[in-house]
Amino acid sequence: MSMIWTSILMPVIGAALVAVSSPRLSKWISLLATLGSLAALTLFAFEFPAWNNGQYHPTEAGPAWLDAAGIRLSVGFDTVSLLLALLTAFLMPLCIIGSYTAITERVKEYYGWFLLLGASIILAFAARDAILFYVGYEFTLVPMTILIAVYGGTERRVAAIKMFLYTFLGSMFMLAAIIYVAWENRVSSGAWTFDIDTLTATAVRLPVSTQYWLFASLMIGFAVKVPLFPLHTWLPLAHDQAPTAGSVILASAMLKLGTYGNYRFALPMAPAGGTELMVVVAVLSIIAIIYASLICWVQTDAKKLIAYSSVAHLGLCMLGLFALNPVGAEGAVFYMVNHGLSTGALFLCIGMFYERYHTKDTDVLGGLARKMPVWASFMVLFTFASIGLPGLNGFIGEFLCLGGTFIAEHDGQSGYPGVLGPRFAVIAGLGLIFAAMYLLILLGKIVWGPLREPHHDSAHTHAAPHASLPTDLNAREILVLTPLAVACIWLGVQPQPMLKAIEPCATRMLANYPDEVRRLKEREAQMAADAADAPNLAQMPQHGGVH
Amino acid sequence: MSALSTAALASTALEGIGQAFTATSGAQLSLSLAISALLFVIGLVGFMVRRNMIIMFLCTELMFQGAALAMITFARMHMDVSGQVFVIFILTVAAAEAALALGLVVLLHRRRETLSAEVWSDLGEA
Amino acid sequence: MIADFPIPQAVVAPELAWVGLALLLPLISAVLCTVCAAARLPGKLPAVFTVLALAASFVVILRAYNAYSGPVQVPIFEWMSFAWGEGRFQQFTAPCALYIDSLTLFWMLFVTGLGTLIALYASEYMETEKGAGYARFFFGISIFLFAMSSLVMGDNLVMLYLGWEGVGLASYLLIGFDYQRPAAVAAAKKAFIMNRVGDLGLALGIFMLWANYGTLQYSQLFQAMNAGGQTGVDWDVSLIPFLLMLGAFGKSAQFPLFTWLPDAMEGPTPVSALIHAATMVTAGVFLIARMYPFFALHPEALATVAWIGGGTALLAATIGMAQYDIKRVFAYSTISQLGYMFLGLGVGTTYGACYHTFTHAFFKALLFLTAGAIMHGFAGQLDLRKLSGLRHIPGWRLVSWTMFIGCLWLAAFPYTAAFFSKDAILLKALTSTRWDFVFLGWLGLFTAALTAYYTFRVWFRVCCGPVHFEPAADGHHGDASHDAHGHGNAHKAHEVKGAHAADHGFHPHAPKWAISTVLALLAIGTVAAGFPAYNEAFAHGTNWAQKMIVGSSAAAGAQIVEHAAQHDTSAGDHQAANGPSLGTVLGMDAHTGLLVVGATASIGGILIAAYLHLLSRGSADALRRALMGNVFTRWLPVCMERKWFVDEIYHGLFRLPLWLGSQVLHFGDKHFLDGVLVDGIARVPIAAGKLFRPLYGGALQGYAISMVAGVALVLAWMTWVWLRGFE
Repeated sequence: MSMIWTSILMPVIGAALVAVSSPRLSKWISLLATLGSLAALTLFAFEFPAWNNGQYHPTEAGPAWLDAAGIRLSVGFDTVSLLLALLTAFLMPLCIIGSYTAITERVKEYYGWFLLLGASIILAFAARDAILFYVGYEFTLVPMTILIAVYGGTERRVAAIKMFLYTFLGSMFMLAAIIYVAWENRVSSGAWTFDIDTLTATAVRLPVSTQYWLFASLMIGFAVKVPLFPLHTWLPLAHDQAPTAGSVILASAMLKLGTYGNYRFALPMAPAGGTELMVVVAVLSIIAIIYASLICWVQTDAKKLIAYSSVAHLGLCMLGLFALNPVGAEGAVFYMVNHGLSTGALFLCIGMFYERYHTKDTDVLGGLARKMPVWASFMVLFTFASIGLPGLNGFIGEFLCLGGTFIAEHDGQSGYPGVLGPRFAVIAGLGLIFAAMYLLILLGKIVWGPLREPHHDSAHTHAAPHASLPTDLNAREILVLTPLAVACIWLGVQPQPMLKAIEPCATRMLANYPDEVRRLKEREAQMAADAADAPNLAQMPQHGGVH
Repeated sequence: MSALSTAALASTALEGIGQAFTATSGAQLSLSLAISALLFVIGLVGFMVRRNMIIMFLCTELMFQGAALAMITFARMHMDVSGQVFVIFILTVAAAEAALALGLVVLLHRRRETLSAEVWSDLGEA
Repeated sequence: MIADFPIPQAVVAPELAWVGLALLLPLISAVLCTVCAAARLPGKLPAVFTVLALAASFVVILRAYNAYSGPVQVPIFEWMSFAWGEGRFQQFTAPCALYIDSLTLFWMLFVTGLGTLIALYASEYMETEKGAGYARFFFGISIFLFAMSSLVMGDNLVMLYLGWEGVGLASYLLIGFDYQRPAAVAAAKKAFIMNRVGDLGLALGIFMLWANYGTLQYSQLFQAMNAGGQTGVDWDVSLIPFLLMLGAFGKSAQFPLFTWLPDAMEGPTPVSALIHAATMVTAGVFLIARMYPFFALHPEALATVAWIGGGTALLAATIGMAQYDIKRVFAYSTISQLGYMFLGLGVGTTYGACYHTFTHAFFKALLFLTAGAIMHGFAGQLDLRKLSGLRHIPGWRLVSWTMFIGCLWLAAFPYTAAFFSKDAILLKALTSTRWDFVFLGWLGLFTAALTAYYTFRVWFRVCCGPVHFEPAADGHHGDASHDAHGHGNAHKAHEVKGAHAADHGFHPHAPKWAISTVLALLAIGTVAAGFPAYNEAFAHGTNWAQKMIVGSSAAAGAQIVEHAAQHDTSAGDHQAANGPSLGTVLGMDAHTGLLVVGATASIGGILIAAYLHLLSRGSADALRRALMGNVFTRWLPVCMERKWFVDEIYHGLFRLPLWLGSQVLHFGDKHFLDGVLVDGIARVPIAAGKLFRPLYGGALQGYAISMVAGVALVLAWMTWVWLRGFE
């Protein structure tokens, strides 16, 4: 457990040190702090005994924080949360290195807040106490808002405030649901506690109608964060206005908080409600895929395009999660990690040419492969990872999500009946085609084609005023992109260890679902039968169902 | 004649008042409450209507006294002395507040050469 | 059902893991090419790596062929595998493993062989691109070969899908190789996206197979099919062949997903030869051949394949007749010949289809490479109206005569290899008991005549007649880099008497040793590809190609399909197509009849081409003018030249509505979803705040009044409650 706290507190200490150091030193301090955090988590991962059994580790409760309310500082990982925390810790140093030349004013504050952001995200993934999770989850908004509002583009204030308020409002619902479950737990067991396992066990026993509202409430909170259609409109604006590293962490880590919340809270806690609302969420996911893909097609701003593509990709991820079978859940978790890697890398690439040309408009800028071939190679690699080319990491998640949706069929010969099915998979599969379309259009404009550079007057040169960046990538930028490229290729070729590790967690999350879906089917069948032949009511066997 | 008679008159008056005050008649207590309400309302209306800051402050003092009278009446009604104790508090607070408020009034008067409250609406939001 | 015609069970043979080198070597060469590009190494090193790697792969395949004794399954490493239970349907297994049967070896032989030759050709062809571009090209070729090997040799459908998309990636990178030309970039994008549409069908087919049979590995699938599928999804199991078919049509450029292939000619010619003629486009044929037993799941599945194949063959032939760009003509002929292959698969002769794939790979690659040599030497000129009499120019005789061999084979001149392979397909069609297959057979014969015509139109125009050549004006026929060959090259060309060079400073650049060697080797290979058929027809020996197809899933599948279609226990060995004649053609014995009709079609087409394009060249234009003049026949040349407006139809049917939809959605998202709903909700507190603003006017007494009002309200309410308490 101390390793976990080390990885969370190192960035915090780093932030404190940054506040009192010089701007030049602050870059090094923050780099060291994030590397230390990554090292701590990696050490933890090497000694993690619960890789393949879906359990948590460590399991002991932490010190009490607010004893009267039962809130404890408990931290622990299972495979899924460890993977997501590792993703965050992996991206943090890369973002820091990537921001060296991008931030020129108020440097110390930037790095300080960035470190706090990272610490908060890792805390959220590590939390075993619901309120601790909420603290981590919500606290990420503070540094993110500051990063966008101070270091962002022209409309940064609006973007930052919209993001903050929208996400905060959604989380209110989530908090209400958590407190409700804690209260129910107190009613049944007599003590206040916010331990996630205990709350889950309580919530599962609640009646169907309660679970329905519980699920809806939790979903609203997480749906804003994911973001799920139609609660997605804050994301393109936030991404567009945020500084590069802010976009990377937003896309790669903060959005995963939403999907992780589904995995940890919404799905396990309210199975009965979940099955009732499954179709609604699935339909929204599918709409998200098609809708966002089509909007991507007509975008001229490169960052907004990738932002909408995030909406589309995470729609597919959610669809896999809500397919309610291990294949879909595996695909969804794998997709979370992959999306973080490839989309984060794409944002870094965009940031690199933005630093040189100060525009992201694909109508004025294009054909950069001529001048920046190394950059172009990375861009093509990451774009194809995003498209889901087999051999790269995106394919595995995408294929398994679609496959899980497809086999979520009625008879449940896989042991996991569901309510989705081939129709959903077909429409979601159209998203595959659209994804290729808009991403290749992006490539065709920015990377390929004749060279188009924005018209600039003599007073304004290409290079950033504070440091002259070479035409193609310099060693620092290659250093940032190479680990991401290696990760993309490696995960595409050797997904096996991760797949094997995620599987028991997925099964654990879905433990209650087969029964719930069967009960749902029975209820529906009974309702249909009731409507069909009312006179035969007396002859129907009595169902001993509690609900 | 003067000192003794004054003293005798005063003690008789006090005794009378004391008798009046030790009377347990509900009507007399109600009268007392009515007087306190009257004092309060006069103060309130005066505060709302008058423009002169010193007069406005005077009206707030009237409201204080109305509340104090009500306190005493209720103390007598319930034979509980804590009402009278509270009146001492009220008088103390009123005195402190008077010092502060009149000091502010003097400063404001020096700024705008007028005691009218209408000139001071800068802190509004309209 | 399958038990009556068993597909041989694959033996697990881990000791054959060295065959995986055929998969690994191109990948290593791709990495080495990247290193060359990053380190900016000069010279032809990427080409050396690639050619060596591909040659080594070919040797590996030869060794595998020698060691072959039956279908084997060779595990290499665990790629994707997890399970959540013990049952068949409670696990997902997709290892990186190989499934090697005779069909695999048959395919890999010509894939690796042609790959090596074409890489060698490209080492000279692309020499003007030395530097990062050169490395990038060979990176693309290596990736392509890796993906194609995975497609053909993989033992499960996910590896096939990996190869499927991987060849799409290679195609994208290579078509858009000259990325500064918008036409090339657009063509690359179109190819990838159109392939993706087909890929969706393939992916859905894969999911269906998994949902119904619980496995994705070929050997287990074939055995599981015997047990019958357990339909657990909403969709009927008979949809599987249609979904697979959709994928095949996308990759192999059949109607309706064919318009990407002609545009793909924007890529360098070696790419067109390797990918879009010989190997990648045959992936669809391979898929159907491999999964042939599953096409018995629906009675009309194969008929659909046959109709699409036959129809596309005719359609593409009509378009090819009206094109002036040599590469475009060959592209349409590729689509047309692929149509024949699908026709063959549909009517039930997998031997015919696969053998035609084999012969076609050779002669089509040869034709494309000759076109490339012409382009290389004439500064990008490929318009057959501007080139003539090439065979009289010294240094170009090899090109002209190898092109002649290729054209002869394409036209299926009697007793060429292609004649036999086409014969196998058409024989099966014409002697079928289904009337629509017979119709398709006659349609195929008509198309063969058209094929012969437009093929020799090219040859008679370009290689015969008076010598005349012009370099391309702006070099926009792809390979813009070859403009540099224009001026100042003193070659033997200018010594030719009576040469009419439109630009007296321009001398064509004759091919050097690499190109010439490859052309010669390919010509020999084209002829040699016929030996299996010659062996059978003349020497009454075994037909090697047929031997390779029998004993694989393709042939066993053919037997199942026949059995399912005819439901009769007709005697005679089910030796695919060349069994005892099953009927008559025009009253004659089937073989003789087809020989006569086929020869007529082929020679007739050649003769018409000779008249219109050799003997009296003006008559072709006169014919066209006559057709255009008459209002009833005007549509024919217009449609043929405008490619039957398919591109325009797609644009109007799909792209335009989708684009409009995107604009609408974008507008709605920005102004309605974000503007009205989100911002609208945000304005509610602001409006509420404005509502209460007058309370804070700043006047002291105003505050007092509001305070009093509030207190009065509270008092009134309290009084009301108190009063109510009395009721």
